Amino acid sequence: MTGYAELCVTSNFSFLRGASHPEELVTRAAELGLASIAITDRNSVAGVVRAFSALKELGRIREEGLADVGHETNAPMIRSQQVTDHSSRQTITPDPQENAPQISSDTPLPRLIPGTRIVLIDSTIDWLALPTDVAAWGRLTRLLSLGKRRAEKGQCHLTRKDLLECCSGMVLVGLPPDPLEAAHKLDVRGELQAMSRAFPGQCFLGAAPVYDGRDQIRINRLGQLSQITGLPMVAVGEVMMHRSARRPLADVLTCLREGCTIDNIGERRLTNGEHRLKSAIEMARMFHRYPAALRRTLEIADRCAFRLDDLRYQYPDEAQDGEPAQDRLARLSREGLHWRYPKGTPAKIVARMEKELRLIGEMNYASYFLTVHDIVAFARSKGILCQGRGSAANSVVCYLLGMTEVPPESITLIFERFISKERGEPPDIDVDFEHERREEVIQWIYERYGRKRAGLTATVIHFRSRAAIREVGKVMGLSQDVIARLSSQIWGWSSSAPGEDRLRDVGIDPADTRVTLTARLIGEIIGFPRHLSQHAGGFVITHGRLDELCPIENAAMDDRTVIEWDKDDINALGLLKVDILALGMLTCIRKAFALLAEFRGQHLTLANVPQEDPVVYDMLCRADAIGVFQVESRAQLNFLPRMLPRKFYDLVCEVAIIRPGPIQGGMVHPFINRRQGKERVEDLGPAMMEVLGRTYGVPLFQEQAMQIAVVAAGFSAAEADRLRRSLATFKRMGTIGDFRDRFISGMLARGHEADFAQRCFAQIEGFGSYGFPESHAASFARLVYVSAWLKCHHPEVFTCGLLNSQPMGFYAPAQLVRDARDHGVEVRPVSVNHSLWDCTLEPRTDGKLALRLGFRQIKGMRKEDATWIVVARGNGYPDVESLWRRAGVRPDALERLAEGDAFAALGLSRREALWAARALRAPKPLPLFGSDSEGGAEPEVILPAMTLGQEVIEDYLSLRHSLRAHPLELLRPQLHDSLPHDRLPTETGRVKVTGLVITRQRPGTAAGVIFLTLEDETGVSNVVVWSKVYETFRNAVIAGRLLRVTGRIEREGQVIHLIAERIEDLSSMLATLRRPSPPDVNGGNNDGTVPPDSKSAGNSARHPREQAKKLFPSRDFH
Amino acid sequence: MVAVDGADGLIADVTGVPHLFGGDAELRDDLHAKLEHAGLGVVSAIAETRGAAHALARHGGGAVPEGELMAAIGRLPVSALRIDSKTGEALSRMGLIRISDLAAQPRAPLARRFGSGLVRRLDQALGMQPEPVAPAAELPHFGVRITLPEPIGLQADVMAGLSRLLERLCGKLACHHMGARRLRLVLHRVDRETAHVEIGLARAMRDPERIAALFAKGVDEVEAGFGIDAMRLSAHITEPLPPEQMGAGPNLRHEDALADLFSRLGNRLGFDHVLRLLPARSKIPERSFLLAPAAYSEAEAPPRRQGPERPIIIFPPEPVMTAAFHQSTTPPARFRWRRMQFTTLRVTGPERIAPEWWFDDPAWRSGLRDYWKVETCEGPRLWLFCTPQVSNWFAQGEFA
Repeated sequence: MTGYAELCVTSNFSFLRGASHPEELVTRAAELGLASIAITDRNSVAGVVRAFSALKELGRIREEGLADVGHETNAPMIRSQQVTDHSSRQTITPDPQENAPQISSDTPLPRLIPGTRIVLIDSTIDWLALPTDVAAWGRLTRLLSLGKRRAEKGQCHLTRKDLLECCSGMVLVGLPPDPLEAAHKLDVRGELQAMSRAFPGQCFLGAAPVYDGRDQIRINRLGQLSQITGLPMVAVGEVMMHRSARRPLADVLTCLREGCTIDNIGERRLTNGEHRLKSAIEMARMFHRYPAALRRTLEIADRCAFRLDDLRYQYPDEAQDGEPAQDRLARLSREGLHWRYPKGTPAKIVARMEKELRLIGEMNYASYFLTVHDIVAFARSKGILCQGRGSAANSVVCYLLGMTEVPPESITLIFERFISKERGEPPDIDVDFEHERREEVIQWIYERYGRKRAGLTATVIHFRSRAAIREVGKVMGLSQDVIARLSSQIWGWSSSAPGEDRLRDVGIDPADTRVTLTARLIGEIIGFPRHLSQHAGGFVITHGRLDELCPIENAAMDDRTVIEWDKDDINALGLLKVDILALGMLTCIRKAFALLAEFRGQHLTLANVPQEDPVVYDMLCRADAIGVFQVESRAQLNFLPRMLPRKFYDLVCEVAIIRPGPIQGGMVHPFINRRQGKERVEDLGPAMMEVLGRTYGVPLFQEQAMQIAVVAAGFSAAEADRLRRSLATFKRMGTIGDFRDRFISGMLARGHEADFAQRCFAQIEGFGSYGFPESHAASFARLVYVSAWLKCHHPEVFTCGLLNSQPMGFYAPAQLVRDARDHGVEVRPVSVNHSLWDCTLEPRTDGKLALRLGFRQIKGMRKEDATWIVVARGNGYPDVESLWRRAGVRPDALERLAEGDAFAALGLSRREALWAARALRAPKPLPLFGSDSEGGAEPEVILPAMTLGQEVIEDYLSLRHSLRAHPLELLRPQLHDSLPHDRLPTETGRVKVTGLVITRQRPGTAAGVIFLTLEDETGVSNVVVWSKVYETFRNAVIAGRLLRVTGRIEREGQVIHLIAERIEDLSSMLATLRRPSPPDVNGGNNDGTVPPDSKSAGNSARHPREQAKKLFPSRDFH
Repeated sequence: MVAVDGADGLIADVTGVPHLFGGDAELRDDLHAKLEHAGLGVVSAIAETRGAAHALARHGGGAVPEGELMAAIGRLPVSALRIDSKTGEALSRMGLIRISDLAAQPRAPLARRFGSGLVRRLDQALGMQPEPVAPAAELPHFGVRITLPEPIGLQADVMAGLSRLLERLCGKLACHHMGARRLRLVLHRVDRETAHVEIGLARAMRDPERIAALFAKGVDEVEAGFGIDAMRLSAHITEPLPPEQMGAGPNLRHEDALADLFSRLGNRLGFDHVLRLLPARSKIPERSFLLAPAAYSEAEAPPRRQGPERPIIIFPPEPVMTAAFHQSTTPPARFRWRRMQFTTLRVTGPERIAPEWWFDDPAWRSGLRDYWKVETCEGPRLWLFCTPQVSNWFAQGEFA
């Protein structure tokens, strides 16, 4: 039997073309025993790294599988099918496919040939370009970069001329159009010959069977063409999918690409499923007259010796002015000692620094540190707040260079977690910048290194269930109604297609074949890449040309360029990346600092905020933390009164403990019990106490979990790290079983209890998906403290900063404003005569500061208009028209202002201002007509006054909050059986509460439990909805805005929960606020008139719930 | 004097009418009773002005006594005033929700802010501006008649009369830029019996001679009895037909000739039975064409076909008998089809066609098919296919 190497494979990274993941293709190739497989996507190499990783994984499985034969699941993961749950950051992996691949263990695994299929804009011939060495790879990626940079995002414009210039060193397989159909035979011949003259010996002619009954004739024709042109013929498969079962999906993708539905796809569909991977035997049958064509595939595969691991990556040499990088790093670190420790450096720190510098020198990472240092230094010079996060805080050098802010003496530093020799993985320094000014940093990096050397990493945008349902539903010709009903039942970004009971729930017959077919296709298409987007801020910087490493393309945003690989691809290839992340809280803190400097003359930085202030901790102990970084979430707010933080390290624990890792590991209760002294800290022996002493014998941090593995279970450091990574990347029972047994038996052997060992391991498992390293928690805890300090001492400044940094954080402006008012801050409404674009502070006569809301709070307002209003304000505007004349604000913006009640300071009610704004129709005043022209004197108009309910509704519509009253206050007379929230602490048993839904959460850690936060005029309450109750009141829970919940009160310390038993959706009540007359206490219509917004009033009428949705949006975290 | 009022209403000017019924209320009752009898559910209103009646009819209905207009419509929402929803929304944002709120305001500021349209509608509703009811013109009737001084009985006489009628009818059609699709000739006999002759046309037409030719057969079958003394011709189904350029060339004449053929065949066989082939886009052979009534479809040039050759005749699959032991997926060496024995000479293929997975076609339930072109020693070149799942052989076409 002859072998076969498949040279033409289109994966689904040729977006909307290929119908299989690269991982599936490689696995199937191994199953078929192919000698090699090339991944050749259209003008792209985006999928090759995934195939490369999958092949590596297969190799590893085989290695391990040989020792342990009983293995069932041995397919590598398809990375893009993993879905990260957004509330818990847990990664969910879909169930492995039913049919595990049968890879016989005696055939060698296929080799991967990275390549691309070059589609030219001026030719009918496609070329498969397979680089034979690194230099050729560089030329190929440069060629692709050229084509991509000159086209718009996602496109690639290449011409024959480009191809002729830079293809040396590659094997080129020409794929001419079908010789039985095409008209321009001479052109084809000429083009082939031109290529073969330019690159003698490198060009081949690809022949692919089509299975239309004419393959022999076709191959004969191609054989003749190959004779004439002198290009040897090779067999290729034109593979689009790994199995023919993907044919329906391929047709759906064609429909999406062509924008048609499946019923009128016509002849664009695949005639059969033969564009699949085929074995050598099948190919030999097709090419039985041309065995050489088959043999040549193997020859080509042999010539293409390039492997992705050959990519030698060189980090930019950060030497400056002749000073080598390592020396410069050492010098900067020593300077840092003086800066950080003006009173003299502890010897321990100096020793640590020397040790780290030595290791950095050995691993040759000095330049990387310097790059980050330079970026941070740039940001500092521009006054942009920044702070390192993640494992970088483990390094003293990072602290000394100003990249991290956590004093090394406050936490345990484990430098090995950051850089380790055994791991051989590049370090990862992530730096957070203010989210509003990060772009400046990004542009500086482009400027400094040039676009040829720096690029953002990509993020692959996948089909998620909602998009998949919509698009596949449309292709399958389902009505909008059915599609809407299908997708309405998806809570958030779930990873799977809607199940049968879900379908029945929304009134769709699961027996309908169209629907079941659609549901199946949706399941298949979820996880398919859709297009490339830019990563949040991962930069790849190279010494040489980046475009010789990977193609660079334009991003959708101006002035940004992106490489084709995402962060996992980069990891797999060992490229270094600097994460330039955005953090809203930093923006908020910087703005608050600026306000403090302006109004209080207090000049603060992250480093000199007064430390360990007991008043701040008192506030946190009261769970008074709305707006405070990290601890403002529901779970954290509940935890604070139990944790009772009194010092900085408590905050570090607080940040780390409310995480999937510790929660799944069941570490929360022992921790809190021991902290409260309800439980004795068991002595685990000196070695373990060294590790766990400061956290009451409970592992909270990633490092601790790893150290337990070393100290308690006898793992080596390298093994412990491998355990961590195998958990992170390969969370399946098969491989973890070994580790688990070893871990537990190791711990038992060292005299630990089985129960404790189980829990430890469970926690390590949790960490695999998400847990904080201590250093990261400490970095975040710094921000927790700083923001809490601001909130405690300067609530008006803090709220102002928060409002000006929106959107960010957990709460909407309404809650933030309300919280500020609860803290005695005077909040003043938006006013054309006082406000700026941003919220500002105004001094009061008693020396306090009042918060003045800015124009940014008004929906639909543009910053430019606001600026003009401020500039032309002078001594204030006397009327609406003066704004139009002096500030040149367009009438529609005036209407926005009027809706936001910004003219109240002029003595104009909302309606009067609207009335006046409405009179100004022209975008600009006419030059010759002054205010005394014909429109000058108008008869007085008396407009009906608004009720309080209407004012509140209008406030919410325009400003998303109201300073006048809470909607519930107005509805209270109708809700006589509901308890105000502030009376909950004194109640027991079964109660009824009603409130606006502020947030709803379904954390992945909580087994389907939903947490709702309801708000009324007196406070907020926390409602727990068990999944059974949720199933019964599903619609109310998902879509309701105003809910009445009947349930039991449950108390734990200061924390009060309401366990829901019955949930009613009262959203329609909100609409009654809009009525011109005050809502009737008896619920009836007192004068029998037709309400203006009833169905008959035209198309403005909507379902009450829809209206409520617009009015009172909740923040839903799924 | 009834006119259409909006998309969903009728308006009638009933000035001076109600007293015939005994008053407004009685007129409405009578109207409702009649319309309900006809199976229509209606809401109606009678008011002094058209605007007020329109508003009221859409908000409850009723009759407004004279002079109480404001009281009756004042409570209605402003959107009842036939204004667009944007203006209505803007008004309600100002707190002007009911017509009474609006009526109290000075007109000039209103017009400045919401345009003169709003003020006009308001004034129309309140009777300050006139608004007459303009009923729509009736549609033209395409019918002509002739009364004969003496009864006639000869076929040629009838045809002569018909041609006179046609002359006039076609003139009328041309006048309105219409063409006839169906015509009916009614012949009144002296004994008060009538005879009908009805013809259809393959396309809209108003050419008297060509239409007359189609009547010949029908007229031939009519029993004239004691003679025919009146004839009536009407075109009861018509279609717009713009005037045509004279002498547009052979192409048009060819089309005309074809249309005449279709008309002739259609009148004999029924228009539903004269079919034409239209191309369809499918890779399934039996769905790659459509059959459509020729008179109701346009000819379409087949698209340039790519891909493998198709047989000239395609018929529904017919089983092919092979030797019992032939289980291979390559064509059998000998087989029987239509009770004839064939020996395979040469085969090419297979062309693999998989079913359209989204469409459950009973014929394709057996899965994908491998089509082979089979030349037989006996002569015919057949298109056979085999379904690999069940390994049965069928013939589906014959090459020329």
